[in-house]
Amino acid sequence: MSLISSNEAPNMQQIDLTSLNIQQLTTLKQQIDQELNLFQNSLHHLKSAQGKFNVSGECLEKFTPECEGKSILVPLTGSMYVPGKIADTKNVIIDIGTRYYAQKDVNDAKDYFKRKVVFVTEQMEKIQMLGLEKSKIRDAICEVIEMKIQQQSQQAATVKS
Amino acid sequence: MEEFQRKLQSEVENFKLAQKELEKVVNSRQQLDGQLNENEIVKKELDLLKAEALVYKSIGPVLIKTDLVEAKQNVSKRIEFISKELKRVDDQINTLEKKQDTHNENLQRLQQQFQQAQVKAAMKS
Repeated sequence: MSLISSNEAPNMQQIDLTSLNIQQLTTLKQQIDQELNLFQNSLHHLKSAQGKFNVSGECLEKFTPECEGKSILVPLTGSMYVPGKIADTKNVIIDIGTRYYAQKDVNDAKDYFKRKVVFVTEQMEKIQMLGLEKSKIRDAICEVIEMKIQQQSQQAATVKS
Repeated sequence: MEEFQRKLQSEVENFKLAQKELEKVVNSRQQLDGQLNENEIVKKELDLLKAEALVYKSIGPVLIKTDLVEAKQNVSKRIEFISKELKRVDDQINTLEKKQDTHNENLQRLQQQFQQAQVKAAMKS
């Protein structure tokens, strides 16, 4: 879960793509491809995080005072359960990260998950914006590369004839 | 000619070594960045809690009840520490990048010399 700043390196230089040679352009394209890959991965992770928060929030909707005393199966490991009874329906304990857990009442907990979903969604939007910009740059680079290649082949043709 | 090739090879190796080192440091930077973000999120969350709220810390498989103030201090200290580490790693990245650049320049120069020597050798024969 990382914060993404929307303002990238302030000392970015403007470079005229047509002034670069094909080799430089391909390395640039490779770099951007890598970045796009990274974005795709981050989006994937964020999506799964968003899903988890959503499920937790939905779960709390069903966690009403009527549940008190009802029996549940408590997982001891991923594949082993023991029967239990719900003793407290007002409070839940939430993992807030870096091995800290906080007890919250159901309303606060709902609020927590809502906030988290909003936060993650915001991050996803930021990445999508960045990704869009990057793919625009990538398209531009591809165009320039194609142009250069055509120029070269034309030159080669005129030299031959 | 042979000596040239040896030089070129050793320079390539140096370059690769520098590249690997840089990659390692960049990775640790990313890790630190992630940790910093996580800690900051936790700090925000702790700040939102009521003073009497119960906070636990997981140590291995058990949850230990912790004082909220203590937890806040702990997280703040961690943020401070990670920020310092980040600064250190950033400096490291800077010097390593410079090192890589000089290696790159050396390599290009050697390659040019190598090509020139080859052309000369071809002319002679």
